[in-house]
Amino acid sequence: MSYQSAIVFGFNEFAKQIALQIAPEYPSFAIFVMNESERLAAKVAGFEAMLFDLSEDWKIIEEKFDPSDLIVFCALDQDAENVFLTISLRSIFDELPIIALAGDHESAAKMKSAGANKVMATQQITANIITEMLEKPTVTGVLHDILYEESFLKIAQLVVPKECFLVGKYLHEIDWGEEFDLLVLAIVDHQLSATFSFTSKGHHHHIDPEDVLVVVGYDDSIAALSEAMGIIK
Amino acid sequence: MIGRWVVGIAFFLHDSSRYRRLKKFFHNLLENPTYPYKKFFDYAMMVLIVISVYILVYHVKYEVKPDWLFFNNYVISVIFLLEYLLRFWVYSDNTKVIIEQYEHDLFLQRPFNVLAALRQIIVIKLKFVFSLSAIIDLLAIMPFFHEIRLLRIFILFRVFKLFRYAKSLQQFISILASKKFEFLTLAIFASVIITVSSVLIYVMEANNPESPIDTLFEAVYWSVVTIFSVGYGDFVPVTSEGRTVAMVIIVVGIAVISFATSIAVSAFTEKLDEIKEDKLIDDVSKFDQFYLICGYGPLAAQVARRFLKDGKQVIIIESDHHKVAEAQKEGFLALAYNPASLYSYNTIRINFETQVIAAILLEESDVLNVYTALTIREISKNVRMLSILLHHENRKKLLLAGINEVVYTQELVGLMSKEVSGRPVAFEVIHALRSENNGVFIEEIVLDALMAKQFFETTKLSMFHKRLIVLGVYKQLSQSFFFNPSNTLVVEEGDVAIVVGTRSLIDEFRIQMRRKKRV
Repeated sequence: MSYQSAIVFGFNEFAKQIALQIAPEYPSFAIFVMNESERLAAKVAGFEAMLFDLSEDWKIIEEKFDPSDLIVFCALDQDAENVFLTISLRSIFDELPIIALAGDHESAAKMKSAGANKVMATQQITANIITEMLEKPTVTGVLHDILYEESFLKIAQLVVPKECFLVGKYLHEIDWGEEFDLLVLAIVDHQLSATFSFTSKGHHHHIDPEDVLVVVGYDDSIAALSEAMGIIK
Repeated sequence: MIGRWVVGIAFFLHDSSRYRRLKKFFHNLLENPTYPYKKFFDYAMMVLIVISVYILVYHVKYEVKPDWLFFNNYVISVIFLLEYLLRFWVYSDNTKVIIEQYEHDLFLQRPFNVLAALRQIIVIKLKFVFSLSAIIDLLAIMPFFHEIRLLRIFILFRVFKLFRYAKSLQQFISILASKKFEFLTLAIFASVIITVSSVLIYVMEANNPESPIDTLFEAVYWSVVTIFSVGYGDFVPVTSEGRTVAMVIIVVGIAVISFATSIAVSAFTEKLDEIKEDKLIDDVSKFDQFYLICGYGPLAAQVARRFLKDGKQVIIIESDHHKVAEAQKEGFLALAYNPASLYSYNTIRINFETQVIAAILLEESDVLNVYTALTIREISKNVRMLSILLHHENRKKLLLAGINEVVYTQELVGLMSKEVSGRPVAFEVIHALRSENNGVFIEEIVLDALMAKQFFETTKLSMFHKRLIVLGVYKQLSQSFFFNPSNTLVVEEGDVAIVVGTRSLIDEFRIQMRRKKRV
């Protein structure tokens, strides 16, 4: 799934890192901040930021971006502000993918209720990483390489096309490692659904069109499977 | 001449490693609560005391075998005597006193004053001799002379001697001792009341032939029994004047009892936190291994919860008492000490080399985390340290302070944002694996020789084939990761297999790999 535009709301340390990571990925990118000091901080970091307040009617988004091809990141300082921003955006844009940052579980639940598609609970993420680094250092290293580094090993999500040879088969019928040199970690019924099944929890999943396979493998193996599945890039 | 001899012997003993080792051993055995063998010595002494008291009590009415009497009168008493002498010896360092006096005199170009040194030694040793525990120890040796009936009272001191070995009893005494002044005031007040009432009741009752109170001793006995609300009723005043005195004494007695109770209760209340903390420190020193979290906040709570869920032990050190109370309320083992102070670690008696798996620095400031890291590094060069980084520009400072791993959440969230916008489902899957909330786990298995040998064979078992995802093998030697390995890969001892599956499947995989050659 790729969008043409992205907006980051806020410019604290989190927002700055998000901006640095995603700005090169989108042809159109903007930062919205709530005060002049954040605008200046963004400028120092090399970004032009626009001012907004929480009572905004978001006409500016409709004017400058195509909401159907836009993704937003809510990374304001306060969880309460992020919740308000999320609910305010959702009240106007029904389909807009909203990714919001939350400090803890409680705020994360509120963001979900407010309409965020994905919530990144920063404390939980940090706690998971700390425990993983200490308890499973090899796993941390391997996952980091797969996810974030420019290694040949990649994680990808492949949407099953209608005419794909996999349609109608069960996951367990295919020896993915042997046949395609890749591993299927999970299968999702619908692309935007948060409900997925881990393949290791049960293989009796029937592959249907529009299902999403989450696979890990080398670039060329993933490309070969995509081709075999008839996925058009 | 004598002075020269004394100094010579002092220097000889001071330099003798054998002598010092021996003295240190006895000091640890008798006085050092952290010495691992002290508890065995204490238990042995307690057993001796119980045996000895039992024999002495039994002997009051019944005949005891001569062997047991000999054991009690000579063996146990001699052991107690030896213990007393050893305590007397290790209480202070005489050689140090002599050498200090000698060097002091030398510096002032005076002849060595042997008498001054001796005086100092005597003063120090007398402090020991007149300490309450030493007096009890000395008196507890006395049943050696049990044939003298009066000296049988010293049996009590053997019971008191138990206090020395039982920490809870010591605590009890120290709590009451903290209210010494209040108890003294109460004692003076009670003594005055008893004296006055005894004299009054004697004056009122002694000349009355119908009154049972005839002597001053009986008057004192009656006063004590009445003032402490016992009132046996064997001695009662019969005159109106005597009964008036009794009424006053009864009322005053209530005040005395209430005063005594309130002093004891307030002493225990005040010391309750201290007792709890002592207990916690004791518990910590008994742990084999644990993660040490320095600084408590919502993040620390999440980290601690994760470790506890995995069955790991966690100790939290935090200087803010409110936060410590919060952590304890959450059910964590938290201590109110400054994590950046050497004193804290000395008091808590943490052994970084053997007990601490890793120190996790979670203070909400890079400055504090650097300071804590330097403190811990001063104690241990090897302990693994992980810290959160609040500001990107401080990363190098944290690494310079000796922190092994730095977690910069903001950067991580930035990377994740890229992932979540590009591959939301993949992100969700990896996040779910990491949070371990879906019943599927990603685990690393360090392979021993047998496991390495049977690795591929086990993955092919129908139980695991297509069910357990073997993501790959990390080769320790070449430090490279082999994804989806085929059986042409040479798997060796020490390599790490990374697998994805349910907990029970992964556990079973481990067991099957370690199972001896299957037929």
